Amino acid sequence: MFRGKGKPLCRKVRGMLSEYIDSRLDGENKSLVERHLEICEACSKELESLRMTVQLLHRVAEVPAPRSFTVTVPEPRRESAFGPASMRWLRPATAIVAIALVVLLMGDFLHGFENNVRSNSGPGNITLSAGQLAPSSAAEQQTWVAVPGVMGQMSLATAKAVGYTDYTIVRSSAVSQPAASPIPSVLGNEGPTGAQVIVRGEGGVGWPLRQTEIGLGAAVFVLLGLMIYARRQRRKKVGAR
Amino acid sequence: MDEQDLISRSKSGDVEAFNLLVEQYQRMVYNLALRMLGNAEAAEDASQDTFISAYKAIGKFRGGSFKSWVLRIAANSCHDKLRVARRYRVVSLDTLLLEPDELHQANNNESPEDYALRRELGRFLNEGLTHLSEDQRLVVILSDVQGLSYEEVAQATGSSLGTVKSRLNRGRTRLRDFLLQREELLPSKFRLNK
Repeated sequence: MFRGKGKPLCRKVRGMLSEYIDSRLDGENKSLVERHLEICEACSKELESLRMTVQLLHRVAEVPAPRSFTVTVPEPRRESAFGPASMRWLRPATAIVAIALVVLLMGDFLHGFENNVRSNSGPGNITLSAGQLAPSSAAEQQTWVAVPGVMGQMSLATAKAVGYTDYTIVRSSAVSQPAASPIPSVLGNEGPTGAQVIVRGEGGVGWPLRQTEIGLGAAVFVLLGLMIYARRQRRKKVGAR
Repeated sequence: MDEQDLISRSKSGDVEAFNLLVEQYQRMVYNLALRMLGNAEAAEDASQDTFISAYKAIGKFRGGSFKSWVLRIAANSCHDKLRVARRYRVVSLDTLLLEPDELHQANNNESPEDYALRRELGRFLNEGLTHLSEDQRLVVILSDVQGLSYEEVAQATGSSLGTVKSRLNRGRTRLRDFLLQREELLPSKFRLNK
């Protein structure tokens, strides 16, 4: 072959032969190549063999395409309720439900829905019958109760809202406001603030925490399934004819 | 209707206008894929992928040479096919580059002897192209087989003009060396050293 032979000028000229064949050299380089080719037989042979190679490549005939490569777009179909286009709300909805579930689980795990004060149980408890407490009154907000089996204390209103039926009134700041609720009068009869009164509350349903968690978990699974379905439907909208 | 109108209509979702562009360029794209891959079936796949990708991306076409833009998509499609073939060894490159018969369809005004010679030459050239790197092969095919200018090749390959010149020079030299090594096998009409 011709590679690797010659002087630096030969190497330089050979690097330009391809452009010379294509008439892409500027005037200065073109005259440099032509002057060198007049005196260098090896580079002249290199030029001829390259020129022949290019001519052979030009002889390669194009072949016709064996078939048409036109593209077709499927007719737009009426979207179902769970069609790809109607699923744009899925991602944010799934995210919101998942975040709500996580917050709920964390709160439940950390007892975030209860007041973190030590229970104060002891003798001298008083049992109140249902109906003796005004529902969700200001007095209930200011009355603290302990629930058996639950650490800490919570307001009476919270205990009723959660659905606890057995609780012990630990203290009430509503003592000085006898008009606000029947509780202060009861407490007033039994002793100073801090006396313990067992209240038999109304057996309300309250807030079904576990059921809410299970419901949210199921909703997350359903939404994730719909997202996977929607993603599969979105693929290959454009097909080959 | 001129090309710019067809491109504008294609951008607004007119698939019929786009298909007119496909009909205009499908032969060139298929030939590039066939020379790059050396396999008719793979070339068909690559060509179809090219036009589907082009249709999806037509909105991003910012003007310039549509031919170069389509050829660039075709080149990427060929690179993908070769990468997959290498990775999974589904078909070795040697097998891929066997000369398909359809590369040698006889012209109407070609004698049987000329046809045989051209077939032999095509086989040699195709084999020679396999000895080039993918980048060199792409540039040589675009420039010397398909007749694109240096500027068009640069656009189609996403390379600088200097890179195109360099790859073309090396590719031609390498192909020339390959042909010289097998010169006794070449038809005398096509021998480099006469």
